[in-house]
Amino acid sequence: MKKAINYTPMIRLIRLPLLMLVFVLAVNELIAQDSTQATAPVIKKKSYVKNTFDGNYIIDNQTVMVPIKGTFEFDIQHRFGTIEHGWKDLAGLFASANMLLGFSYVPIKDLQLGFGATNDRMQVDGNLKYALFKQTKNNKMPLSVTLFANTVMDTRAKSSSLPIINLQDRMSFFSQLIIARKINEKISLQVGPSLSYFNNVEAYYVENKVIQAKTNNAHLAISAAGKFKLTEGLSLIANYDQPITQHPMNNPNPNISLGLDMKTSGHDFQIFVGNYGYILPQNNNVYNHNDFTKSQFLIGFNISRLWNF
Amino acid sequence: MIIVVFITTASFTFLQNKPWAVPDAAAKKANPVKADATSNAAGKVLWGQHCASCHGKAGLGDGSKAAQLETTPPDFSKAIVQGQSDGALFFKTSEGRGDMPSFKKKIPDQEDIWNLVNYMRSFKK
Repeated sequence: MKKAINYTPMIRLIRLPLLMLVFVLAVNELIAQDSTQATAPVIKKKSYVKNTFDGNYIIDNQTVMVPIKGTFEFDIQHRFGTIEHGWKDLAGLFASANMLLGFSYVPIKDLQLGFGATNDRMQVDGNLKYALFKQTKNNKMPLSVTLFANTVMDTRAKSSSLPIINLQDRMSFFSQLIIARKINEKISLQVGPSLSYFNNVEAYYVENKVIQAKTNNAHLAISAAGKFKLTEGLSLIANYDQPITQHPMNNPNPNISLGLDMKTSGHDFQIFVGNYGYILPQNNNVYNHNDFTKSQFLIGFNISRLWNF
Repeated sequence: MIIVVFITTASFTFLQNKPWAVPDAAAKKANPVKADATSNAAGKVLWGQHCASCHGKAGLGDGSKAAQLETTPPDFSKAIVQGQSDGALFFKTSEGRGDMPSFKKKIPDQEDIWNLVNYMRSFKK
């Protein structure tokens, strides 16, 4: 006899995200209606604040920005070794480095889809970014809110030295709610609470063959970042990341970073100094052991090339 | 080979020297955005981001990339530009031609292109 499938747990699981999505769409619709009522025949009177940040990235974090529909972006990101060895490895420039090549596209308004690959543990990632709310010039919406999420897969070949058995052991996830405000033409600020989740974490046997995980699977953190515009094409950027979750051991360190952002019509360049040596956000948030109190900083850069189709 | 190079060069030179005709309807289009401080500030940001590298910070045609262009960017402080209607400047910015890229996809909000046009007027001497 064929067993009936019980869908109730699945419905329960998707009910909350569905309700949230309906709420967001309803609020967006109300805002859109309001804007329609306030528009002139040719030019919209109400419009969104522009250039809260200069691109998709602010050092090690995503910004609240989602490029305009039809934008294709190619990203090159690089993190050198720590500067603590000085001349020995030319402040980390001759040390081993982490790199990522990424591509993203905005197929529909406010939604970006991306893909990337990094040499760190041969990881590949797929990501999406959606602008839930956008700050308006008339201040009826005082903040911009964007959701960023990714799924990362460790693609290294199986070996006895790696704790990878099943496909799910390779996966990790990251999601972040980014809340930002352009304070004025020079200053923009954002905060981003985030959740990182690793399916597979290191563990060891304790007495009675009980397995003790070194870290939790889930990790909460929060980031704060800001931009100060120096000239039309040059901004000072800063970023801070604070771990929240306390793990049994191997707790990650916070990250302080400071850099410059240079924006042109088709490019965004960032060069900076900070503690985060990985590039994918869950790796940084969970596995950063560079300590700013021990001057374990490193140089990094992000390059973005944009095309509009 | 020589003939191909000659034809390519000649046709490109012809294109660049050809007057840039703007459709009447576009040239006569009224500027719906008031040229106030807010519009000029928005235009200045866009100018710095999209235009200054070729046209120069003050619109003199002396941007860092100007020397690499086949077409010398005009001096925006002179009548050759300032004598054009707002609609014509909007059309050229939006559509582009040759070295001058089209900005209608990069700057999708028409209000922003009008802000740019308003800012171009600040170069008049």
